[in-house]
Amino acid sequence: MTCERYLNSIQESVDGTIGSIRRAELEMHLDECADCRALRDDLQRIHDAAASLPALEAPDRAWLQIAGRLRQEGRIREIAPAPGPRPNYVAWLAAAAAVILAVVTAMMLLVPQKAAPVQRAQTAPPAAGTGNTGGGNAPASQSVEAAQTEVDAAQQQFEKAIENLEKVAKANVEALDPGTSATIDKNLGIIDQAIADSRAATRAEPTNVAARETLFEALRHKVTLLQDTISLINEMRKGNNAAAAQLVNKS
Amino acid sequence: MVTSKGPVHPIGQGPGTARAAELQLVDRCRQGELGAFEELYRQHSGRLFSLAVRMLGNPADAEDMLQEIFLSAHRKLESFRGEAALGTWLYRLAMNQILDHVRSRAARTGQLTDGLDDATVLADGMGHRLADRAIDRIDLERALAELPEGCRAAFVLHDVEGLEHREVSDVLGIAEGTSKSQVHKARLRLRGLLRR
Repeated sequence: MTCERYLNSIQESVDGTIGSIRRAELEMHLDECADCRALRDDLQRIHDAAASLPALEAPDRAWLQIAGRLRQEGRIREIAPAPGPRPNYVAWLAAAAAVILAVVTAMMLLVPQKAAPVQRAQTAPPAAGTGNTGGGNAPASQSVEAAQTEVDAAQQQFEKAIENLEKVAKANVEALDPGTSATIDKNLGIIDQAIADSRAATRAEPTNVAARETLFEALRHKVTLLQDTISLINEMRKGNNAAAAQLVNKS
Repeated sequence: MVTSKGPVHPIGQGPGTARAAELQLVDRCRQGELGAFEELYRQHSGRLFSLAVRMLGNPADAEDMLQEIFLSAHRKLESFRGEAALGTWLYRLAMNQILDHVRSRAARTGQLTDGLDDATVLADGMGHRLADRAIDRIDLERALAELPEGCRAAFVLHDVEGLEHREVSDVLGIAEGTSKSQVHKARLRLRGLLRR
């Protein structure tokens, strides 16, 4: 049984505030009492472990929500368009999505047997423009409707690419261990939430360039994660554990 | 005044250079540059999120709190003069918001000081010793979340954040003796919880 009369001294010794006379008295007692020694050691270990607790990582969605609220409150300065003809950002995104579609097709050929067939029409590169034709330059000013149309068109291209990647990943998911699969699902859930939030922000303000950028950034994240998942499946199938480990570490 | 574990200067930068970089970053944030505010968030969110999780006892409340802290920081950046390091300024702002929340929650439950019964704590904390191995971080975080509100706040401020009892008493608005007794009870209770 620990001696209650020494309890305060033990705690103050852990706090580092005990005076020298009481410390000497406590040390004499600890030399003779194993229970009190064990208590002092345990409380010291708890104190030390608490003092060295590392910083936790804030979830990704927290930043997306903060950024969304700053935009809603109008606290973010929108980036002014560069003088002169502005490159058609949305059309560029559509072209990027087309490249992704081509990559998807190539990757599906790499994933054997169970890959879901892809419609030829979906793999054909879509038109580079999305409403603005010729030269890739947008008009100097854009109506809300035109902006929304452009965003919708570029989104559709991404969604096609994502749909195809998801089909391939889902059809071959058994190649992954349940832990990896659960982590990927969790990350996809976070990205989906980010896509939903930024899509809502874009719908509320179709001409808001920053909101668009956030949406397309989230869509790009999803494409990248799905591409990595399929690469991982391929490496697992080939028995290439080193390459698979590299992909997991990258994620 | 809250001292606490101080901010760390970026690698390879002395305090002067780091301060100049901070002021530049703050200036960009004030101009509404989202990328600059994201940079500020990335630098400080981990530490503030950890503080919120441990003080509030659950990650969901801490995530909401983190949003409020950074939104409030964005609004108040106009008043940042660079007299203290940005990390210290943010830490104080975060601590005030977290404590407002803790106090209002404690007022509802009456638990800012009276979380643990002395006899129970003694019986629970003074029995068998802990296993002879390093205390697992996850076990400690879990046990911390099980402490009553006031007791946990005092322990986090003193043992995790490194404040003196005098500072804990100022921050929580309690007597210094109460801070000691809360921290001491928390350690005994944790000993009981970590043995399970």
